[in-house]
Amino acid sequence: MIQMLLEATLIALWAGLMGIDNYNGLTHAHRPIFSGLVIGLILGDVTTGLIIGGTLELIWMGMVPLAGAQPPNPVIGGVIGTAFGILLGEDPNVAVGIAIPFAVAVQGLITLLFTIYAPVMHRMDRHAEAANPWGIEKFNYLGLVILFVMNFVIAFLPINFGVQTAADIVETVPEWITDGLGIAGGIMPAIGFAMLLTIMLRAEYVMFFIVGFLLAAYLELDILAIALIGLSIALYDYYQNKRHDSQPKQAAGEEDFSDGI
Amino acid sequence: MASNELEKNDQSDEELSPELTRKQLIHLGFRSLMLQASFNYERMQGGGWLYSILPGLQHAHRNKKDLSNSMQDNMAFFNTHPFLVTFIMGIVLAMEQNKEDRAAIRGIRVAMMGPLGGVGDALFYLTLLPLTGGIAASMAIEGNIFGPIMFIIVFNVIHFGTRFSLMFYGYRAGVNAIAKIKEGTQRISRGATIVGITVVGGLIATFVTIDVDYFLDFGETEMDIQEDVLDSIMPGLLPLVYTLAMYFLLKKKQSPLILIGITVLFGLLGAYLGILEGGIDDDA
Repeated sequence: MIQMLLEATLIALWAGLMGIDNYNGLTHAHRPIFSGLVIGLILGDVTTGLIIGGTLELIWMGMVPLAGAQPPNPVIGGVIGTAFGILLGEDPNVAVGIAIPFAVAVQGLITLLFTIYAPVMHRMDRHAEAANPWGIEKFNYLGLVILFVMNFVIAFLPINFGVQTAADIVETVPEWITDGLGIAGGIMPAIGFAMLLTIMLRAEYVMFFIVGFLLAAYLELDILAIALIGLSIALYDYYQNKRHDSQPKQAAGEEDFSDGI
Repeated sequence: MASNELEKNDQSDEELSPELTRKQLIHLGFRSLMLQASFNYERMQGGGWLYSILPGLQHAHRNKKDLSNSMQDNMAFFNTHPFLVTFIMGIVLAMEQNKEDRAAIRGIRVAMMGPLGGVGDALFYLTLLPLTGGIAASMAIEGNIFGPIMFIIVFNVIHFGTRFSLMFYGYRAGVNAIAKIKEGTQRISRGATIVGITVVGGLIATFVTIDVDYFLDFGETEMDIQEDVLDSIMPGLLPLVYTLAMYFLLKKKQSPLILIGITVLFGLLGAYLGILEGGIDDDA
């Protein structure tokens, strides 16, 4: 009993730290390949830990965070998958099945965190305006604490209380809520871009905005290609203006774009 | 915060700050590990970016008003690859310390984040991780403990090597480039803003996801609202309309907090009624 509690706590501590590593630090010790070894050490069965960790790594290999898209959580998947593979003597593919509801649950919590942290940005804006570094720093540290606690709890529950009890708890949230937050999260960068535009956009720049949008929407060009096209336009514009300037006394109106910037 | 945007372009203290030392750059490299600590859907890495470069900004701006303006700018939307971010940090810090025009700094920051994000994904998540992870996994499955150990060493030698060398390289490149450019800052600002605005236009079509999942039933045939109607008018129509709507609401001094609230309700309602498809958690 005491040993079980100790093991569950150690595993949960590892899960909490790796929950942070998944977004910050990024040593990738949170990958199943390495988590498998650590969980094997904690539970005293390194060989099984290695085998399950390796298998889970291959399963999670294709699932990488690209352009902000969130795959099923590899941290909890690796930790719980390996732990139950060892504790119950299950085949890795069965173990991953056990781990999936928890990997989804923690991903749901992360979606919630990323939503709640959007309004926090406006608190941080005020600290930025007041030139208060600690105000910026504390909200970043808080983010780490929340990630740690979420992963700690989600890993601790099933290992200490058993799979079924824990699964019942994590499955109480209706699916449409996590789906809805996910949809809102997909839309929310629109607000960030809109705020950038209120600062950067002027009538004379609207054409470049349109060009960038069309290149991505219709031609589906990579952002690198779009940036290079933008750079070509900027260089052309730069040398055109330079030539204009070297011919003195052009029409006065041509200089207007320099106002304010 | 949109109210004082016009006077925010110039630095009140024009005096250049001393260059950052090697020690300071290493410290900044470590700070960059926190890039996603305050990650969220609205600004993404914006808050973590400010955290990462903050000591550099304090070094560059002794004047409180300048520091305030700089910090506000650096809270804006940001998203790039976390291993390559130090390169942009180096360039931006070189510009900040040289008291470049705020519009130029803003433009450079936005223009660089998207391309480096794509390059980093391809290099690290689509190449390095599957390569090292795959070899290590095949060793581990045979019970070889050196699999995971080799993985963590090789991966991180490349990871931290990239992160810190780009910190130095970016900063050097920034300082040298600025020294060469003797032109008026207005021209540079204009160029940087043109690239930045072009990239933002592209990012809206790439990053903002609104997918309608609704079919009109005509007995014989079905009409897919997203594919048959919206996409045939213009791909990326809803993301563009939504972003512009947010833009005009912000211009009308609507609070961004209200806009976040509206967006969350919009997402929840869309999921509850089943007319919108999950943008980001699709595969979970």
